[in-house]
Amino acid sequence: MKHTLLKAVATTALTFGTWASAHAVDLQFYFPVAVGGAAAETIQSLTDEYVAANPDVTIDAVYTGSYQDTVAKVITAARGGNPPQLSVILSVDMFTLIDEDLIMPFDDYLPGEEGKAWLDGFYPAFMENSQTGGKTYGIPFQRSTPVLYWNKEAFKDAGLDPETPPATWDEMVEYGQKLVKKDASGNVTRWGVRIPSSGFPYWLFQGLTTENDVILANADGNKTNFDDPKVVEALQYMVDLSGKYGVMAPGIIEWGATPKAFFEGQTAMMWTSTGNLTNVRTNAPFEFGVAMLPANKRRGAPTGGGNFYLLKGATDEQAQAAVDFVKWITAPQQSAKWTMATGYVAPRAETWETDTMKAYAADFPPVLVARDQLEHAVAELSTYQNQRVTSIFNDALAAAITGQKDPEAALKDAQSKADAILAEYR
Amino acid sequence: MTGRPFSLDQTLNTLAAWLLALMWILPLVYAVWTAIHPGAYEARFVLTAPLTADNFIAAWNAAPFARYFLNTFLLVTLILAGQFLLCTLAAYAFARFTFPGRSILFTLVLLQLLVMPDILIVENYKTMRLLDLVDTIPAIALPYIASGFGIFLLRQTFLTIPRELDEAARIEGASVLGILWRVYIPLAKPTYLAYGLVSVSHHWNNFLWPLIVTNSEETRPVTVGLSIFSAIDSGIEWSVINAATLMTTAPLLIAFLLFQRQFVQSFMRAGIK
Repeated sequence: MKHTLLKAVATTALTFGTWASAHAVDLQFYFPVAVGGAAAETIQSLTDEYVAANPDVTIDAVYTGSYQDTVAKVITAARGGNPPQLSVILSVDMFTLIDEDLIMPFDDYLPGEEGKAWLDGFYPAFMENSQTGGKTYGIPFQRSTPVLYWNKEAFKDAGLDPETPPATWDEMVEYGQKLVKKDASGNVTRWGVRIPSSGFPYWLFQGLTTENDVILANADGNKTNFDDPKVVEALQYMVDLSGKYGVMAPGIIEWGATPKAFFEGQTAMMWTSTGNLTNVRTNAPFEFGVAMLPANKRRGAPTGGGNFYLLKGATDEQAQAAVDFVKWITAPQQSAKWTMATGYVAPRAETWETDTMKAYAADFPPVLVARDQLEHAVAELSTYQNQRVTSIFNDALAAAITGQKDPEAALKDAQSKADAILAEYR
Repeated sequence: MTGRPFSLDQTLNTLAAWLLALMWILPLVYAVWTAIHPGAYEARFVLTAPLTADNFIAAWNAAPFARYFLNTFLLVTLILAGQFLLCTLAAYAFARFTFPGRSILFTLVLLQLLVMPDILIVENYKTMRLLDLVDTIPAIALPYIASGFGIFLLRQTFLTIPRELDEAARIEGASVLGILWRVYIPLAKPTYLAYGLVSVSHHWNNFLWPLIVTNSEETRPVTVGLSIFSAIDSGIEWSVINAATLMTTAPLLIAFLLFQRQFVQSFMRAGIK
């Protein structure tokens, strides 16, 4: 029994080891999935479609878990001398990947005016996280941005105009105070707004700092501005939402539970990723609206999500084939399919001009909000030693949100710790 | 129960036991509740909530679970068979033979218990690549087969077996391996059962190493299939996740319930807690 078993295993192994080597160019492509539904299937079917149309290329698309798992797998495979040629990884990991000497720029495989024109076709807000030192290391693919969702019925119930979302910080507080509902014993049954802060609070907080007209890290990824007075002011506002103004539940707010709380009417507004759009559309039992994040000194939001990276170790032929594949999958038809399946923002303006996307947007106008917000959007916080720096920042935010430290002290602390790490990169 | 005098001590003990059992079972009960009801009842516990199998169907269709189950089954069988073979032979040698370097070798085996397997991921990957085994089930299994814990545990068990039995068998003309097979292994059965359970449940649930060393549907275990549900960007669907979790842990849970008595007894005898 054991013998046949081992034999079966060994045969399977052999078949799959030798199977791919008969073709001209073999590519391996790692992709993580961070949204539910058919994301993995969509990537697989797009890849199959490309391979069917291009018989001189084979692409082995490998699902690699979450973004964190994917980075772990890419680094392990590269250290083991077996990196994939292409991988989707968080755009904020660019500096880390450069530092680890794992990726190479796309520019060499995008020659001349044509290449430049193609790069210029992406929304500049997405390219901010994708270029450094005059080179392009990332091609936007599964990108998102946070938006404000509001429950129109709750607005009506609170005597507000259901078609007008808050446009400024002050309005969000004012509306929020009207929207808070308490039962007879004084317990809140409906909060005004919900800004999730578990795990990676920095992302939505970056919405607030951008609106307060301050950038958290420079474009070279080696200096942060955590203790800027405007950052302190933004954090004070966030703390005040649950403290002074009483429009948001106190303490750390869970990401995963936020859409559910919105569906069940426990909050009238929520800030969360556009990646939720399809989920909210399917599951919200009431009419809802989607708006840009409210402004303070300006409009603003971070971008988020993953880019394509080209990994070192690929031959010229493989790299060229990989770039051709990236060009194809970000082209309007394919990009439209991907956006409709997942809710990610199509990263090229021309995609929005296709008939499929126009029809989709006409049927469901909220998808346009994220796109229109892009002109106000900035790069997601990204530095060298990104994991360490963001986790220092996250800890500072959590300390302020839970009331262990006051915002200014927490941010000063975070800045000096980040300085200690980043000094060697300046 | 009537007639027995009331004892405060006993009552408190029973109460505490019930409380612990309840705390242990609650997550499981919640998982079952959410899995068999529509998503809207995730946090609303109404007895009249409609029952549904949709969550299981959705979970089953989200990934090729039939293949993943087969892979996991092959994987844990391969690991367990390899561990039993290697650990038995090594433990027998450490327990009953004297040879130069024995204590150094045994110390090295014990040191293995102190090393977190995660630290070795890159080295293990390099080894698997050298053996050209990347993306195969043996690649997932190999790093775990020479288990320091297994060797240690079996050696301790073998040491408790009286030498007289060993000598009696030798007088009867049994060979060295014959003694192992006829005397030591039968007497260590509870240890094998306990160790087998720990090993199977650990490797059934292992995620990171299988994810890293495999690439294709044909080699990946259920845990990798399960990871597809952790979609943080779009909100977590507890009902589907819990249906998938129940589905993937069901074989272990059922086996445990069926053989519960034997497992508990063997744990007591083998001294693993």
